Amino acid sequence: MSSPDFTLYATTAIFLYIIGLYGIVVRRNMIRTIIGLEIVTAGVNLNFLTFTILNKDLLPLAQYFVVISIVIGAAVASLALMIVIQAYRHYGSIDLKKMSRLRW
Amino acid sequence: MVESWIILQPIAILFAGAILTPLIDPLGRAIKFEKIRDAFAIIIFILSLYSLLGIYEEVQKQGKLTYFLSPYSPQMGGVSFFVDQFSVFMAFLFCFLGLFVSIYSIRYMENDTGLDKYYSLLMSLVAGLVGISFAGDLFNLFIFWEAMSLSSYALVAFRKYRWEPIEASFKYLVMSTIGSLTALYAMSILYGLTGTLNISQLATIIPTLKVPLQTLYLIIVAIIAGFGVTASIVPFHFWLPDAHPAAPSGISAMLSGVVIKAGVYAIARILFTIFNPIAFDFGAILMLFGIITLSVANVMALLQRDIKRLLAFSSIVNIGYIIFGFGVGAYAINVYGMEGYSIAVLAIMGAIFHIFNHAIGKGLLFLGAGCFIHEAGTRDLLDLEGAGKKMPWTGTSFSLGLLALAGVPPLSGFWSKLFIILAGFTKLDNTFMVVTTSLVVLNAIFAAAYYLWLMQRLMLRSPKPKVEKVHEVPISMVLPVVLLGLITLVIGLWPFNIMSFAEVATKSLLGLIGG
Repeated sequence: MSSPDFTLYATTAIFLYIIGLYGIVVRRNMIRTIIGLEIVTAGVNLNFLTFTILNKDLLPLAQYFVVISIVIGAAVASLALMIVIQAYRHYGSIDLKKMSRLRW
Repeated sequence: MVESWIILQPIAILFAGAILTPLIDPLGRAIKFEKIRDAFAIIIFILSLYSLLGIYEEVQKQGKLTYFLSPYSPQMGGVSFFVDQFSVFMAFLFCFLGLFVSIYSIRYMENDTGLDKYYSLLMSLVAGLVGISFAGDLFNLFIFWEAMSLSSYALVAFRKYRWEPIEASFKYLVMSTIGSLTALYAMSILYGLTGTLNISQLATIIPTLKVPLQTLYLIIVAIIAGFGVTASIVPFHFWLPDAHPAAPSGISAMLSGVVIKAGVYAIARILFTIFNPIAFDFGAILMLFGIITLSVANVMALLQRDIKRLLAFSSIVNIGYIIFGFGVGAYAINVYGMEGYSIAVLAIMGAIFHIFNHAIGKGLLFLGAGCFIHEAGTRDLLDLEGAGKKMPWTGTSFSLGLLALAGVPPLSGFWSKLFIILAGFTKLDNTFMVVTTSLVVLNAIFAAAYYLWLMQRLMLRSPKPKVEKVHEVPISMVLPVVLLGLITLVIGLWPFNIMSFAEVATKSLLGLIGG
């Protein structure tokens, strides 16, 4: 059930997921938070394709899933950037520390 | 299979409504009748309810409906739809509350701009919710999930000229996206292991898999955590007390009433259908999550002074009861085997019935709170004291909603909690079930205290200066509130019709009928 390629891709996917989460938790800049979300999305999408290394039959649908997932990710990112623009209008800054009036 | 295209009807009607609303709005301005978009939204919701009625009759005849919309075969996991009694139950609830909220919004939102976008987003929110309940494969569920989530992020940030919705919406977006991506990660592993994402195919393949049990439990935990963010299970609830109060009141009612139920629906559907509770012990996990959710949210609700924030925490409390009910069901099946099914039917029926009661009750409370805020212009409970006296219709319905959620007998919330608690106490020799259920009972009593406290504040105190001049809200705002109040009362006195619907929904979820 494992080949060197499979291990490499699966580990990369997990690492992308963790790096993205780390970025979201640690960074206080709204744009960097969105970049963190995109890295998590990339990790998940890569994981869909990873399993096609073992079983070529999975490839057509896996590609279809990943393409749709990328489209959805773009929609989420654009909405998030809209919120960043609005936040900049209110605070003159995109620092999340300034946005702490609600209790996190 | 011939008639199965009717499954797509409500989703298609709602999405078509969402697309057409921005086109109809300029027409309304041209003929000097701007409220045409409101009327259009109400017509769309009535049409979708009517088409759901057709699906309901068809499901009663055939047990379940399936529909494939893809060149790929269902074995490979192409796009498919699947409807049983549980799906229809949830879909009815979603469209029903959508109708009430759009009636309410006619007057509540009239001072806002961009209302064509508001109704458009409201319709795509409900379309996403109905799609989630009808999805037959996991990726389809994810697509509708994102349609629902994107609409609700935008609706939370609808009043973008204030700072609070912007902050709350960003927080909601980040947390909820991480959650849905975690669920998608679990789906990708499932797809890699089985080669399909079709829910009924997965149910037959999972027991034959030759993979370590830990991997499957990892998937279960990722599913609970991923969808649990939207269902706002503690410790994934941090976005909810900010996002629900920041939205316009009608949207708060939608978010608290039905959107968080979609998370519960996804967890229940995936866990109970794909992972057989006989083989996998996820019941105890759900029960513990339920207890933690109840206890933490109850304590937090006591500390609130903002009326909508208090109601938001009370939503988390009620999610605790529902999750606990599903947990008791899964646990009983896991421990007692076939004998446990009778306990499971009781517990899950209680949980599904509570989904209904809480959706109606919390919809009522948020719409009622919206009436108070609309008149008094404040969300602070200390300023709102005595407002109920000045607004008798809203105040009385609001109190009915509070009493129903507090679980005062003959109102609706009492019955559902009773079933969950009775199911927990059926096996008195099982220490784990007895102890956790006792904690639920303690929490229910504790929660009743602050509901009654809130009622006493609003109804019995002498009016504060800020509410001295308030008067009853317009008829189109008070009508949904009073109707929802009547529903809680009628269902409390005559719960048997909804109960039998919930029982059939439970049996089709557990695969006891319609298989």
